[in-house]
Amino acid sequence: MSIWGVESLRKRKLRFAVIGLGKMGLVHASILNVIPDVELVALVDKSALMNRLYKIIFSSTGISVMSDFEKLSGLNLDAVYITTPISSHSFIARNLYKKAIVRNMFVEKTLASNYNQAKELCDFAKNFGSITMVGYMKRFSVTFRRAKELLAQESLGELHSFKAYAYSSDFLGLTKRSESSALRGGALRDIGCHVVDLALWLLGDLKVNDVLPNVTEIGSATSVSFTAKNSDGLEGRFDVSQCMLNYRMPEFGLVIEGSKGRIEVNDDKISLTLDNGNLTKKYKQDLSDNVDFFLGESEYFRENQHFVSSLLNNQTSEPNFESASRVDNVIDQVRNRSRLE
Amino acid sequence: MSNEARKLLLVGDNPFHGISHLSQERARSRNEGIGYPADKAADLVSTSLRCGADGFMFSVSDITLSILKIVQERRSARQLELYAIVPYSFEYVRVATQTGTPGLAKRFAKQIVVSGDIVTIWQGLKAVVKMDPEGLVKTYLAYEISRIKSSAGKHAKLASVLLHEVITDMSLALGFDWLFHSYVAYLSKMGITPGFHTRNFPYLVKKFEEWNIDLDKTMITTPFNKAGFQMNPTKEECEKTLSNLSSPIVIAISVLASGYFKPSTAVDYVAGLSNLKGVVAGVSNEQQARETFSLFKEHLKKWH
Repeated sequence: MSIWGVESLRKRKLRFAVIGLGKMGLVHASILNVIPDVELVALVDKSALMNRLYKIIFSSTGISVMSDFEKLSGLNLDAVYITTPISSHSFIARNLYKKAIVRNMFVEKTLASNYNQAKELCDFAKNFGSITMVGYMKRFSVTFRRAKELLAQESLGELHSFKAYAYSSDFLGLTKRSESSALRGGALRDIGCHVVDLALWLLGDLKVNDVLPNVTEIGSATSVSFTAKNSDGLEGRFDVSQCMLNYRMPEFGLVIEGSKGRIEVNDDKISLTLDNGNLTKKYKQDLSDNVDFFLGESEYFRENQHFVSSLLNNQTSEPNFESASRVDNVIDQVRNRSRLE
Repeated sequence: MSNEARKLLLVGDNPFHGISHLSQERARSRNEGIGYPADKAADLVSTSLRCGADGFMFSVSDITLSILKIVQERRSARQLELYAIVPYSFEYVRVATQTGTPGLAKRFAKQIVVSGDIVTIWQGLKAVVKMDPEGLVKTYLAYEISRIKSSAGKHAKLASVLLHEVITDMSLALGFDWLFHSYVAYLSKMGITPGFHTRNFPYLVKKFEEWNIDLDKTMITTPFNKAGFQMNPTKEECEKTLSNLSSPIVIAISVLASGYFKPSTAVDYVAGLSNLKGVVAGVSNEQQARETFSLFKEHLKKWH
């Protein structure tokens, strides 16, 4: 399916639409438009002003621009991307199912605003036999993939503890930072969800223990810390903040300790330090990070390619609604624990 | 503007923004506190120019414009060649994160109004009322060019204005040929080489050929390094596309991969790429500035 290689043998391209033309909507639309097996049919944005502008900008591309996602009905779509604000994901996805507009969906993270909504979407997906995916693109980073391989090889032996972090400077120095953060669902939902997903993917299901310090409203907090434990008793700590100094770009990372040594992994590099003194450090540059088309991060192309491949091969995608709903579950647990304390 | 035969050696601004493609940890450690002070950054640019750099490539932001002002004041009447990248996407994305897209639009409109440039304000108003995307692009370019010229003074030469990779690559993917045609026409008319920053170099060349955009009238900046890092889709495909170009229009970026390679390794690799127009390198201390540009200058003599 290379955009440079052999042309697709399919007679018909997969027909896609993207709902929500903010930054992520445009990134996904762009990448989809260069994948040979995909025909980007329609874009939806409800802002009247942006809609007017997009109609003019896209007029020569053959891609329709519309203001209401219900108008996608009848377009014979194979899949839809939902890249609107998180608070609208559940409403849009539910209606796409109920009105039989489309069966297969990619939803930007987080899947929903809470676990109940996420579970409902999982039920819809199951009933409709959907192929679904959620935009936890860090799973497609070469460094985190390497961590997954090392853990599968049991390079650390028995796991003892972990630390996970998600830091950015997005709201550093802002006077109304809670308000700004609330627009994006708070730090945990906005950036922390990525590292929660990575921890679930690498270490298994998690139960939240304590929320530190006491945060009264997770939906607007710009910094959150909590501890959690997996079913094997492995315990770790999460630190999430959008007010860190000198984090020009958001950074996600984990440190995992085991009986044989430790793994430190973030977006840029992974190191494996064994107790026998052996140290292996790999940067992105060492790990074949190239993609057919680069936009933003190489992970974005890989996740889109994975979703398209899943559709072409009629296979389950990962992370899908079911696996992504576990992130909403952890966020809900943090919210509930913080209210109790 | 024709592409000169000489090879260009440019000093870049990435370290001044706290950017390291090797690791953010490294960028943070050299950018302790609140970032690079403008006078320190200006020292590094001045040293690089003394040691062989032909010009300064930078993203247009308040930080770089203040650096530019200091550098130009120190050079008095000596001409400085400038290669400006627009927009400074990081800042726009940051504002959009904090305030949403409407907040970003409001802030940008306010900046143009505050600039007091009557012609640009009028152009912008017309473009908004008519919903004219080409008019909006021209208004934006006029605003940025006016900011650069006002900071750089009359002795600086704005050689090229390059479209940031996010806009270039997104527009390539979405098939916005009108944007590229309009951009090339507007800048060429102003005597400025239209430039494009991309991480999809072969794809850009393929699309420009399809859209009948004269590549020889443009400048391209794209990664070239021994590791093939960020050379998409592959190092081999990028090298092949470069060698097939009819004239040298490509300035290599990420040649050191932010410290992943030593300058001596980097220069050996780029010296083997005969169809390059030049190289840009960022430096984060005085010693690095002296060593890197002296070394590159020395190798440029042997460069065919």
